[in-house]
Amino acid sequence: MTAIVIAQPAEAPAYDWPKLAAKARSRRRTQNLLLYGLMVLGALPVLVPYLWLFTVAFSGRTGTSTLVLWRTLAVLLPALFGWSLLRLTMAPGRRLHMLEIGLAVATIALLAVLTGPYLHLDNWRFLWNRDIADTLKGASGVGGTFPSVWTAFGNSLFLACAQMVIVISVATLAGYYLSRFDFRGRPSYLKGLLVLHAFPAMTLIIPIFLMMYWIGLLDTLTGVILIIVALELPFAIFVMKGFFDAVPWDIEMSAMTDGASRRQAFRMVVLPQVKVGMLAIAIFAFLRGWEEYVFVRTLLTSKSNWTMSLYLFWMRDDLMGTDYAMVSAMGVFYVLPSVVLYTFMQKYLTQMTIGGIKG
Amino acid sequence: MAVIELVGISKRWGQVSALAPTDLRIDDGEFVAILGPSGCGKSTTLLLLAGIYAPTAGEVRFDGAVVNDVEARDRNVGIVFQSYALYPHMTARDNILFPMRFKKVAREEAQRRVRGVADLVQVGQLLDRRPSELSGGQQQRVALARALIKEPQLLLLDEPLSNLDATLRLSMRTEIKLLQEKLGITTILVTHDQVEATTMADRIICMRDGRIEQVGTPDELYRRPSSLFIAGFIGAPPINLIAGRAADGAIAVGSVVLPSSGASGQVTIGLRPEHLMIGETGLAGRIGQIEPMGREILYVVETDIGYVRLLEQGSNVAHAIGQPVKIGFLPSNALVFDTATEKLIAGAEVRAG
Repeated sequence: MTAIVIAQPAEAPAYDWPKLAAKARSRRRTQNLLLYGLMVLGALPVLVPYLWLFTVAFSGRTGTSTLVLWRTLAVLLPALFGWSLLRLTMAPGRRLHMLEIGLAVATIALLAVLTGPYLHLDNWRFLWNRDIADTLKGASGVGGTFPSVWTAFGNSLFLACAQMVIVISVATLAGYYLSRFDFRGRPSYLKGLLVLHAFPAMTLIIPIFLMMYWIGLLDTLTGVILIIVALELPFAIFVMKGFFDAVPWDIEMSAMTDGASRRQAFRMVVLPQVKVGMLAIAIFAFLRGWEEYVFVRTLLTSKSNWTMSLYLFWMRDDLMGTDYAMVSAMGVFYVLPSVVLYTFMQKYLTQMTIGGIKG
Repeated sequence: MAVIELVGISKRWGQVSALAPTDLRIDDGEFVAILGPSGCGKSTTLLLLAGIYAPTAGEVRFDGAVVNDVEARDRNVGIVFQSYALYPHMTARDNILFPMRFKKVAREEAQRRVRGVADLVQVGQLLDRRPSELSGGQQQRVALARALIKEPQLLLLDEPLSNLDATLRLSMRTEIKLLQEKLGITTILVTHDQVEATTMADRIICMRDGRIEQVGTPDELYRRPSSLFIAGFIGAPPINLIAGRAADGAIAVGSVVLPSSGASGQVTIGLRPEHLMIGETGLAGRIGQIEPMGREILYVVETDIGYVRLLEQGSNVAHAIGQPVKIGFLPSNALVFDTATEKLIAGAEVRAG
């Protein structure tokens, strides 16, 4: 046996721990600063148009005044910058909290002083005044009176919800079948699903129009719903199949030996595991229906069938020039349900990856 | 409680045979282990018994009655999966209660049974937790409780211990065995771990490539393995398999000639490490490696016919690496296999000489 000798350095180097720690801290701070800066820069092009929409909706009179937008930005950007600095440089605690509240109050006060005098709700008159066509500057392209905005709101809601319900039901059942059962032509069916999703739907618009005409569903919401469902389904089915694939066979087999029928096992054991997937599909389907424009524009002609997107389109279509202020208000009104939906559902959407099953 | 019979049962997936025609009888209250490497058809057999898979041919009989067409939910079989297969969205209580939802049992009676069976497997305190809040061993117990609550006539355990850590595995082994004895349920354990099989089961069914290789008590499989495969599978550390050539009443192994009878041609001699000893005479070699294992010490000896594993009782390392030794054995412990067919040659033996 020979002993193994590891060479020892003549003298151990002296470590300056506080200095090394300070270096690490300053590097982390710089990194954070850079990251935040990049994120703000990236977010600006997305956020500024929305801010424009929002400010004009509450302040615009005629034409396109951007005064309020610039003032808002001039207050908000330094405030945000100051807030990031506070967050980065100070330890979390009561003092930071108080400073944050102070900053928020100051920002709101400044905004109130600088933009307050310009704010008004006149642009929202379409909500309670049916005859906005008369109040538009020129005769609107559509001619005559507008339907109530609430009719359009109801139509859009109906379109989005009905479509969502059909997509979830069909995609869930089809996804389960594709995930669990083998049948002749299954691989080509799966490939077909993806190919279908790859086609641009616009190319189908003329055949679809003719088809709807022959079937007799032209100018009906049902027709549009069926078409969007057909276009949405391939992707939804594919996503749901993925979710079902992640559910282990074991728990299904276990349920069946526990006394459940196949259907009961599906309902009581498998379905709860893919709830998050169904929710995601539901949200995407709803938003797809809510924002639909091309097919409603092509297939719906009666005013009573207008959806929100059509209402917005006709409102903009003023011969004497568009009333951007009101269009903006309408835009905000249009976006609101999506924002509400996202706010409430994002908790579940971000869970999507955590929804796995611990084995 | 039931007598389980498989008569000419087989399972094919398209062109692939998962289980060759197989006959098997398991007695009432028996604890049987199905042992084999992964992909040998042991889980297929289990799922055929549970009624999840339908056999391609043959009959499954419970107490003599053919149950081929009886659905899984009506077979009253309890099953514990390797993954435990607990329902993640239910608490332990709801998991255990699940089978009762399909039986016409009064609410209080069901709750009473949950408490009873939970106490039996010692999860009474954990009933309000979800599976994700339970440790592996606790999940295992809950799964066991769920399988037992409906008082099954057959309990199937699919590698129930393989996801547990070593110490827990040891205690669960004992616990499951005691539980089975107490309840007297006919139990089939599927495992790839020979220690699990030999320690728990009354009888072991050794499978390989979709067919049964040997059925016997743990002792039979250890003493008289019918093939090289089983000899290599049962016993730890694994058996030494030494190639030799038998002719004229002797087997030549390297430079050593062993007197023998009943064998001819190429043979493989199987010698378990625990049957070898370091002595005055025998195969010469050099100690290459020493692995102390507590109560015993494993020596790996380099000889001119390759490495030989040798197990010595006691905790004292009596030999040093590099030391020349001679390896001897009791001739009656040697197993002689036909190298070509890999089968044990019945009647062949190595004699002292």
